[in-house]
Amino acid sequence: MAGKRLSKDPYNLIITGVGGQGNVMASRVLANMLVNKGFYVTIGETFGASQRGGSVMSHLRISSKTSWSPQIPAGSADVVVALEPIESIRVLKDYGNPGIKILSNTRPIQPVGVIAGDLEYPGLDEIKGIAREMASDAWFVDATDKAMELGNPILGNVIMLGALAGIGVLPLDKQGFKKVISSTVAKDRLDINLKAYDIGVGMV
Amino acid sequence: MKKILSGNEAIARGAMESGVRFASAYPGTPSTEILETIAREFPEIHAEWTPNEKVALEVAAGASYAGARALAAMKHVGVNVAADPLMTLPYTLIRGGLVLVSADDPELFSSQNEQDNRNYARFAKIPMLEPSSSEEAKDFVKTAYRLSEEFSTPVMLRTTTRISHSKGIVELEEPEDPPRASLERHPVEWVMLPANARIRHPVVEERLNRLKDYSNSSEYNVMEINDASLGIIASGAAYQYAKEAFPDASFLKLGLSYPLPDVLVREFAAKVKELWVVEELDPFIERQVKELGIDCHGKDRIPMCGELNPDIVKKAISGSVNTGSSSLKLPARPPNMCPGCPHRGMLWALKKNKCFIAGDIGCYTLGFLPPLDAIDTCLCMGAGINHAHGMSKVLDGGKKKIAAVIGDSTFFHSGMTGLLNLAYNKGIALVVILDNRTTAMTGAQDHPGTGIALDGSKNIEIDLEALVKALGIDWVKRVDPYDVDTTRQKVKEALEQEGPAVIISSAPCVLLPSRRVSGVPLKVDSDKCTGCKVCLGIGCPSIEFKDKKAIILDTCTGCGICKAICPFDAIGGDV
Repeated sequence: MAGKRLSKDPYNLIITGVGGQGNVMASRVLANMLVNKGFYVTIGETFGASQRGGSVMSHLRISSKTSWSPQIPAGSADVVVALEPIESIRVLKDYGNPGIKILSNTRPIQPVGVIAGDLEYPGLDEIKGIAREMASDAWFVDATDKAMELGNPILGNVIMLGALAGIGVLPLDKQGFKKVISSTVAKDRLDINLKAYDIGVGMV
Repeated sequence: MKKILSGNEAIARGAMESGVRFASAYPGTPSTEILETIAREFPEIHAEWTPNEKVALEVAAGASYAGARALAAMKHVGVNVAADPLMTLPYTLIRGGLVLVSADDPELFSSQNEQDNRNYARFAKIPMLEPSSSEEAKDFVKTAYRLSEEFSTPVMLRTTTRISHSKGIVELEEPEDPPRASLERHPVEWVMLPANARIRHPVVEERLNRLKDYSNSSEYNVMEINDASLGIIASGAAYQYAKEAFPDASFLKLGLSYPLPDVLVREFAAKVKELWVVEELDPFIERQVKELGIDCHGKDRIPMCGELNPDIVKKAISGSVNTGSSSLKLPARPPNMCPGCPHRGMLWALKKNKCFIAGDIGCYTLGFLPPLDAIDTCLCMGAGINHAHGMSKVLDGGKKKIAAVIGDSTFFHSGMTGLLNLAYNKGIALVVILDNRTTAMTGAQDHPGTGIALDGSKNIEIDLEALVKALGIDWVKRVDPYDVDTTRQKVKEALEQEGPAVIISSAPCVLLPSRRVSGVPLKVDSDKCTGCKVCLGIGCPSIEFKDKKAIILDTCTGCGICKAICPFDAIGGDV
């Protein structure tokens, strides 16, 4: 049984990003951290063609009572963790509500239509404006920039997990992260992942 | 012990706990991780990638005939390839339990259609189990083996993408003691000549009646009587959505959904005021309920296409849902071929030779997208070569620049017979085998061309060139698709041939360790760049266009295709 109560049950969390950013890994680590605390977690995921640079999304349904369906109903997400900024807005369009919280990376990945100059990518300020207007709380962190300072942009997902712990919406802690990540990554990658997590916690 | 497992991982675990000895599959989303998990975690099971799904089901049937429990896994369209053995297997005696996992893909996340494979269970007259969670996925596999042996029938376990790829908590158990393999002879039950098959068909029909009785008493078909004003019959993921949308309604949850438990359905219908069947895709259950003379709602209000979710179910049955909205117009983000993908060089060369390109199933199908716009047809595995042959036979002037592209894994799956036909019937089309040394689209699985088996052992590496020649094609050339000029020239030469021509476009997938790109990003000399946009035509995600100049991003792998096609020599750096 869960030691801590959730602010809402089920608590609905979406991790979104672009195929290749480590979305699936982040959702799995987070889910295991919560299961170790005694919660029921269902992760709804689709992957396949989208791993080739398409939009990806994981739905986490977290409950202290029972297992929920793998899809969050429209308008019912509680927090969105976006590994890429416009993906946060894409999620808001379908799952937003006045109480939703947004935690987003700031580093854009431009879709191929934008690269080719046929489509516009909105400015970061515009994205931030919309997020702040549509959500009750919004945090923007330079996760990819920090990850590149650590030597690998893929660590952005772990920095985002640290930031999620930092905003305090779920009962997550360093010990719990360490336990899960130790069995997820190779031994020589453990320290850098722990460091990335700490950086994330400190960024919000 | 509890663990978070995806539906596919849970199926693999269920196979191990059932004492399965043999598992086979051809990779296909959303089914691929079943065999990958078995190979990684349960070495006691012999697991193999087969060239296609027909082979997968037949080798599993062989293991079952020898008395061992066996599993064959495939995506929904893979069952079409395996449909030939599937239709007759139920006539035969099943010794070791035989389970066919069909992973369907409502919403077409990664498929060419969204066919509802529950119809196959009815078509083949075999029982079908539909799990609605990871926990059930594991439990149902174990039940499937018991059913298969008790009734001597293949059993179908049907998942959807949401079940296969979603993850939930599963209670792990100890493995059962598996039946031992032994050789027996059952000629009447195994030799499907007309005389024997005539004897076996009534066995199938009689078994189906017994299965119906079983279905009525199965612990997996359960009534949950709550508020009787609304009664919902559902199975699989649809049950979860309906339960979430209407937590107070009464439910008849079908775990063993074929044969339909007719007695239970009648009983349930009598208890509730308004009866609904909530199901994804076809009105599979609904039609059978109506065949019982029971009226119900279903596809009159629930969409026939795409997957369901709690909102769609709620809206169909009761009306409103709430959604968020934003006025910001967002750029679409379709999937794309990776930076440095070798397919880009070959597709570019074919485009520059003004070819009509009959495509196939694989990453190269993404070459359909603008700006490459390179793929003109894509139907099913192996169809491209045959499209090209049929077209070039009827078009005036012979060749007409008709080309087919097919990946190496897809070629082994079902391209070989097409190429044989092309040679046999004096075809003239150009066939390009995009040999990237892997099954890339499903996440890099090996195949007969790499010679590496699922357990990692190295076996015979099939020589594509020799194989193509053996199939009757004389003109076979190998090119490096990163060498754009030579590739373009070779395509031109191939198109000039009187007879059929095959080009093997040879370069490992850029995601493989054996990739040949430098990994060092190229650079644009902005003084030389005229903003002509030629480089943008290959649709590489690493080339951006800003302030009327091309810019190369740090995701560039240095493959050099853009460098080779730049008319102004503006792209530099080591290739």
